[in-house]
Amino acid sequence: MSKLNTAITVLTLGILMGWIVSTSMPTSDKPVTLPNAIAAAPTGGDFSLTSADGAFRLKDYRGKVVLIYFGYTFCSDICPTNLALMAQALNGMTENELAQVQALFVSVDPERDKVATLKKYAQHFHETMLGVTGSPTELAEIATRYGAAYRKIEGESEGGYLVDHSSNTYVIAPDGSLHTILPHATPAQEILKVTRKLLTES
Amino acid sequence: MKKPLSQSIIIASSLMLALLSGTLFADTAADITVSNAYVRATAPGQANSVAFMTLHNSSMQAYSLIDAEGQAAKAVELHTHIHENGMMKMRRINKIDLPAHGEVMLKPGGHHIMLIGLKQAAKKGDSIHLSLIFNDGSKKMLTVPVKGMTMQMGSMEHKNGGHDMHPSAPKKMDHNHMH
Ligand SMILES: [Cu+2]
Repeated sequence: MSKLNTAITVLTLGILMGWIVSTSMPTSDKPVTLPNAIAAAPTGGDFSLTSADGAFRLKDYRGKVVLIYFGYTFCSDICPTNLALMAQALNGMTENELAQVQALFVSVDPERDKVATLKKYAQHFHETMLGVTGSPTELAEIATRYGAAYRKIEGESEGGYLVDHSSNTYVIAPDGSLHTILPHATPAQEILKVTRKLLTES
Repeated sequence: MKKPLSQSIIIASSLMLALLSGTLFADTAADITVSNAYVRATAPGQANSVAFMTLHNSSMQAYSLIDAEGQAAKAVELHTHIHENGMMKMRRINKIDLPAHGEVMLKPGGHHIMLIGLKQAAKKGDSIHLSLIFNDGSKKMLTVPVKGMTMQMGSMEHKNGGHDMHPSAPKKMDHNHMH
């Protein structure tokens, strides 16, 4: 009995240790497959990705409010909903405000989403919206810093794999810092309000 | 040429049977009314779309929607979204229950009919033929209009949180954690 207890304790401790070690290891190279929940306290920060018209570097957008959404074009409900709301917010801005705002759609599905398609896709929502993507490694690293999560799910649908994903909109302040995270389906007025506040503060 | 009486009876009874079974099969479909159906217009490069609608079961019997078909896409599936741990998970489901005297909404962020691999882009003003298939095998044919994003957004704005999309307050970032 006590032998069994000891064995169980040792086993439990072993599993616990293993878990602690594995979770404290740097996971930046493949955070996509592991976390189900989104890591706390995302830090944001600069990144460089690819658009149909060349590199997109966040640091080139100092002085502007950047609205970032991570998604994929295969997504036919959640992503279009958020992008349409973002576009509606852009439509509510004055020309002067619009000149200080950049909307960005980041595809986390580079396997299916090519930059030429992303350009047209993003422009469909708003003429100023940019569509970008990168290598799976680059995307995973950026998504981790922003607290955006996504995970490929195979065999669910006849249309090929699906992608589970967070559906927040990340609001980048003119100084380049991650200012606010807006949850899924945030009304356009709210996106507009947050953006406007940042523009007047800066 | 006069047909023998027996043959006429056979023909007549088979016709009656066909009619009868026709009406029997049509029962479920007749008990279910569909309103506000629309397919979302696609953006360029978007291979898939979704159909939303409200299904109203006016009968005393519970039914379920078990499938949908259509020629407009390579595959038509029943799907739902699970909002869990901050993740949006789209999943295929094998039925959507339609409780007696109940109403079920297929809506953004929830249940939907997924149109996978559209044969042509869904453009505003087009319409798409879909058949709903119920648990007793009966079918309901629909001609569903394609609607643009902005029209749907208008209605979403009015409801503003009255649906299952879990909008919550924006999270302000803790600037101590910033680089
Ligand atoms: Cu779906």
